[in-house]
Amino acid sequence: MSNIIDIKDLSYVYLPGTPYEQQALKDINMVLNQGELLGLFGGNGSGKSTLAKLLNGLLYPSRGKVRVCGIDTSIKELRNELWKKVGLVFQYPEQQIFEANIYDEVAYGPRNLGLKEAEVKSRVYQALEKVGLLPETLVNLSPVKLSGGVRRRIAIAGVLALEPEILILDEPMAGLDPLGQELMLDIIKKRQEMGTQSTIIISHNLKDIIALADKIAILEKGSLLFYGEVAELLENIDILSRFHLELPDYLQVVYALKARGKRTNRDISNLDEAGLELIQIISSQKGN
Amino acid sequence: MNDIKLGQYVHGYSLIHLLDPRTKIICCTFIVISILSNHNFWYLLAYLGLILAAIKYSGIPYKSIWRSMRGIRYLLLITFLFQAVLTPGEGLIQLGALSVTREGLSIGLINLLRLVILFLGSILLLMTTTPMKLSAGLEYLLLPLNKIKIPVQHFTTIISISFRFIPTLVEESIIIKDAQRSRGASFDSPKIFSNIKSYLAILIPLLASSMLRAEELAEAMDSRCYGGNPNQYRMQSLKYRRVDIYLIIFMTMVLFMGLFLG
Repeated sequence: MSNIIDIKDLSYVYLPGTPYEQQALKDINMVLNQGELLGLFGGNGSGKSTLAKLLNGLLYPSRGKVRVCGIDTSIKELRNELWKKVGLVFQYPEQQIFEANIYDEVAYGPRNLGLKEAEVKSRVYQALEKVGLLPETLVNLSPVKLSGGVRRRIAIAGVLALEPEILILDEPMAGLDPLGQELMLDIIKKRQEMGTQSTIIISHNLKDIIALADKIAILEKGSLLFYGEVAELLENIDILSRFHLELPDYLQVVYALKARGKRTNRDISNLDEAGLELIQIISSQKGN
Repeated sequence: MNDIKLGQYVHGYSLIHLLDPRTKIICCTFIVISILSNHNFWYLLAYLGLILAAIKYSGIPYKSIWRSMRGIRYLLLITFLFQAVLTPGEGLIQLGALSVTREGLSIGLINLLRLVILFLGSILLLMTTTPMKLSAGLEYLLLPLNKIKIPVQHFTTIISISFRFIPTLVEESIIIKDAQRSRGASFDSPKIFSNIKSYLAILIPLLASSMLRAEELAEAMDSRCYGGNPNQYRMQSLKYRRVDIYLIIFMTMVLFMGLFLG
């Protein structure tokens, strides 16, 4: 597997040389393989969104190097083409909808790619299907009339229609009802199952996506505090407690059992595995 | 967040920051009157020096002021060129059918100076006064208009709300711009039409969210019993100090000097 993202000694400063100068990122190093899902965590103002913009070419490093899909973002001409490969879904993307009907809204990106209208159409329909909407009934509606959750899915479809190699979602769950959150997880899951596309999810809630992520990065005040596999993070009680990272219930059960001296498998990252593990523990208990 | 927004308040403790907002507003009005009623080059130059000294004193770096001046550079350039070319008088340089005249150059230079002074004066006021203080000062100074049935406090509420929301709108427009750029919108394409379309993609969502925000704000104000009465508490927080009075006396002198010189 090749490195789709390669970040070396990255620093970023906002408004250098003014009274509002602010160091947003400090000496970040990380590598992401193709097809992996990265969960990016951190509190407000920790630099998550800045990092996303650096990966998409909207910003370029003050110091250090960022290579995305083999493209060095410090070169302006290349950076301006990066949107074709890295799809960035901002926080509350439903606020960016501007076209009069849903078809045109989703087609905005593909048309900017310069695709033929037939190809645009198939991309729009596929993208809407990917976010769990029925294209035939929707395309002529005005986005204004729909609920916030549906509008967000349309906005995400607008980025998926670009068929990006890397998809970055900034707080995709924020402000959604439980059903909406589940649908969002489904969209991400389906994308991961394709295997070749990478996804980065920015969130301040670990619980949301720990079951999906391959790698976790934790930012604090612009520094990378932790970067590694999910299993490594779960072992690292220090960081978990320091950030008040609340684990999903099933993991809490597993870890509580571990704390009581039960032998547990360290590679549990979803509910099914946890269930199997519990069954094993209980049956071994009975054996005694 | 690529740049400081034009006239955004910069926190500080300089003498200029601590002046009463009313003093600053009165001084700015004096500046406007004396600049517009006077066309003596040396007087204007001295005025420019005065304002530059005040900026220095306020602790705002010249660099950020210079940067915000770039926003009006075309206005300045066009004003100067039009004056230089369109004023009749003794020709200096002939450019085809147009001639740059001596009178034109001097009027152009004076108007350039006037614009720069006005710009610097207002930007100094905005950068050293919080929106709250500014609207309290305005409300106090305009209060006599209440006598002729002009609802001053509504005006000042509107003004302070717009001041309050300028940075929010700018920030939001930057986010939306980034979002549309991520979908391939180009803002510096050689094709004008596609640029216009890209800007529409910012303006429409911005307008929609502003309407929504205005509605929510109105409801929030209603639910906290906003009645449009003068904000006594805010106005009582204003205090003249000795330095305010000295400054106003000084600026009045400068104003009269200008009126006589003019």
